[in-house]
Amino acid sequence: MKVLVFHIGTDRYGLPLRQVQRVLPLLELKGIPLAPDSVAGLMNLHGTPLPVIDLSRISGKAPSRQHYDTRIVVADYTAPGGAVHALGLMAERVQGVQDVATQDLAPSGVQAAPFLGQVAGDAQGMVQLVEVNELLPAELRARLFPSEVATR
Amino acid sequence: MNNLSIKNKLYIGFGSIVAIILLLLITAYNNFASLTDANRWDRHTMEVLLQLDRINSVSLQIQVDTRGYILTGSEALIGTERENAEQLKQHVAKAVQLTADNPQQNERLKRAQALLTTWADVNIRRQIEKRRALGDTKGAPEILAQSSELKEAGAIVASARELLDQAAEEERRLLAERSAKAVDLHSNQNNLLLGGGAAVFVLSLLIAYTLGRAILGPLANLTAGLARLGGGDLGARTVVTSGDELGKVSEDFNKMAQQLQDAMLREQAQTNDLRAKVDSLLDVVARAAGGDMTGKISVGGDGAIGQLGDGLQRMFDNLRQLLTNVQKAGIQVTTSATEIAASAKQQEATGVEQAQTSVEVLSTTKEISSNTSQLLKTMEDATAVADYTTSATSEAQGNLRRMDQTMQNMVNATDSINAKLAALSEKASNINSVLTTITKVADQTNILSLNAAIEAEKAGEAGRGFSVVATEIRRLADQTSVSTWDIEQMLKEMQSAVSASVMGMDKFSEEIRRSVGEVRQVTDQLSSVMDQVQKLAPQFDAVLQGMQAQAVGAQQITETMMQLNDATQQTVESLKATSEAVHQLQYAAGDLQSSVSTFAVNA
Repeated sequence: MKVLVFHIGTDRYGLPLRQVQRVLPLLELKGIPLAPDSVAGLMNLHGTPLPVIDLSRISGKAPSRQHYDTRIVVADYTAPGGAVHALGLMAERVQGVQDVATQDLAPSGVQAAPFLGQVAGDAQGMVQLVEVNELLPAELRARLFPSEVATR
Repeated sequence: MNNLSIKNKLYIGFGSIVAIILLLLITAYNNFASLTDANRWDRHTMEVLLQLDRINSVSLQIQVDTRGYILTGSEALIGTERENAEQLKQHVAKAVQLTADNPQQNERLKRAQALLTTWADVNIRRQIEKRRALGDTKGAPEILAQSSELKEAGAIVASARELLDQAAEEERRLLAERSAKAVDLHSNQNNLLLGGGAAVFVLSLLIAYTLGRAILGPLANLTAGLARLGGGDLGARTVVTSGDELGKVSEDFNKMAQQLQDAMLREQAQTNDLRAKVDSLLDVVARAAGGDMTGKISVGGDGAIGQLGDGLQRMFDNLRQLLTNVQKAGIQVTTSATEIAASAKQQEATGVEQAQTSVEVLSTTKEISSNTSQLLKTMEDATAVADYTTSATSEAQGNLRRMDQTMQNMVNATDSINAKLAALSEKASNINSVLTTITKVADQTNILSLNAAIEAEKAGEAGRGFSVVATEIRRLADQTSVSTWDIEQMLKEMQSAVSASVMGMDKFSEEIRRSVGEVRQVTDQLSSVMDQVQKLAPQFDAVLQGMQAQAVGAQQITETMMQLNDATQQTVESLKATSEAVHQLQYAAGDLQSSVSTFAVNA
């Protein structure tokens, strides 16, 4: 399984590549007043407004620093209802694509956050998989994708 | 003999000696003449004998030659026959000539001459002609030997030889006779010379003794008489023993001695008379010498003594007058001398004081002179220091000027460095912008590669190869990013270094500017110092000249004071001498007074 490796703080995390639509450079975001802290802003993707979640913020850390390798990853968010939404994720130190063998993956054993999944060790340390679909809490999901609620 | 004069005595004595010697010489001369004559005769006889021998030998030669011819008939043997005949004739003629003084010998030789001439010219000729006529006839010598010519010739020659032998015998006899006579003469001569010499010697001695007696005897008498007279014995006389000059002298001597004796007696009488008068005069004079001038002269008359007495009387009168005057004058002189002495003492004291003063002045002047000399030396040193300072200051000024120039150059260099640094900074900025671009490109490349990888993954198996390319691209992008970042860091460091350099350079050039200002200030100050020092030198010179003039003046003062001192010393000396003289004058005046007071002037 191939994952896109990025950092939250000093730790490495991986996004499964099948859920990644594309990687974009750090764009100028439009702020969303009264939005939760974990929402970095709103980006314009070829005319479609797209909410951007700060992965560091949502993990309870300081906001992502605006480095040259801080990227916005456009991922496919599959709502519990089955609808797929494009979602912007702001990630620090996006290093690249890494191949993680399925047999190496093991459960982390600690259920701190719902979106943190299995871990795999390699020479550089450990990589924890991030589950995009579990990323948004219900309240935030409702705010970001109101149509989802309405449709339900 | 005694009455002869000394001249005649001498003539007779020496004349007799000379006459004896002359007689001896004449006799000896006669004997020598006889001896010479005898010698001449001996030689004559020898010559005659020699001629006779030659006649014999030549006639023998002729005989031998003729005989040889007769025997051999060889004409060569009689080649010299004529010459031999001529020689024979010459020798015979010589012999005849030599014996001209002896008639007997002469006669003999003349006969021999006749015989030999006939023999040589006639007989020998005949023999030779006969032999020639016979020629080479056998038995020719025998024929001739038997001939009458040969016999005749032999007889003639034999008789001639006999005559010659007789003559030779006669000559030899004469020679012996003459030799005996010569020996006699010789012994006579010896005897005469020995006897005559002895006689002359004895006679000379006799004459010398006699002459000595005749002259020296009277002379000794006279000398003894004179010695006695010289010794004061007026009664001395000599005995007249001879009638010659010495006798006359003795007589005159006796007369002179007599007259001397008479004169002495007369003089004694006069002396006694004179002594009596002089004694009376002396008595008065002695009293006068003792100081008693009251004595009267009693001697009078026209004689020398009388006149002397009158003169003495007048002299005594005058002396009395004089003494009175002298006594008065002595008192006056004593007074004056005392006064002079006092004033001389005072003057001397003043002179000494003056000498001391001048010595003090001299020492002061010397001190001034030495001080001036020291001051002069100091001033010379100061002048030298000032000169040195001037030169050193000007040198320092030159150095400072060079330093100023160097500083200026440094400021210029700093400015240029600053400009270059600014250019460097600008270039770095440019590089920075380029880097930004590169970074952006690399960033986008990175994103592109990520997206490519995602797309490849989505493509599944078909995108496997593309995935590899995407990975490579991403690595390249990463490397570019890293390199760019490195470059950026270096650039940042460089920029910060450049800015630090610029700041340092600014500070440095600021300091240099300040230093230049300070150096200029120092240079100006040095210039003013130098000006002042240069102004100082002529002033020093003026002071120096003044000092030198002062030194010279002090020297002159010293010399003048020395002269003055000498003069004062001399004055003091002369004053001392004057004082001494005055003292002596005082003593003399005292002596005069006391001397004069011993004279009794009034009776």
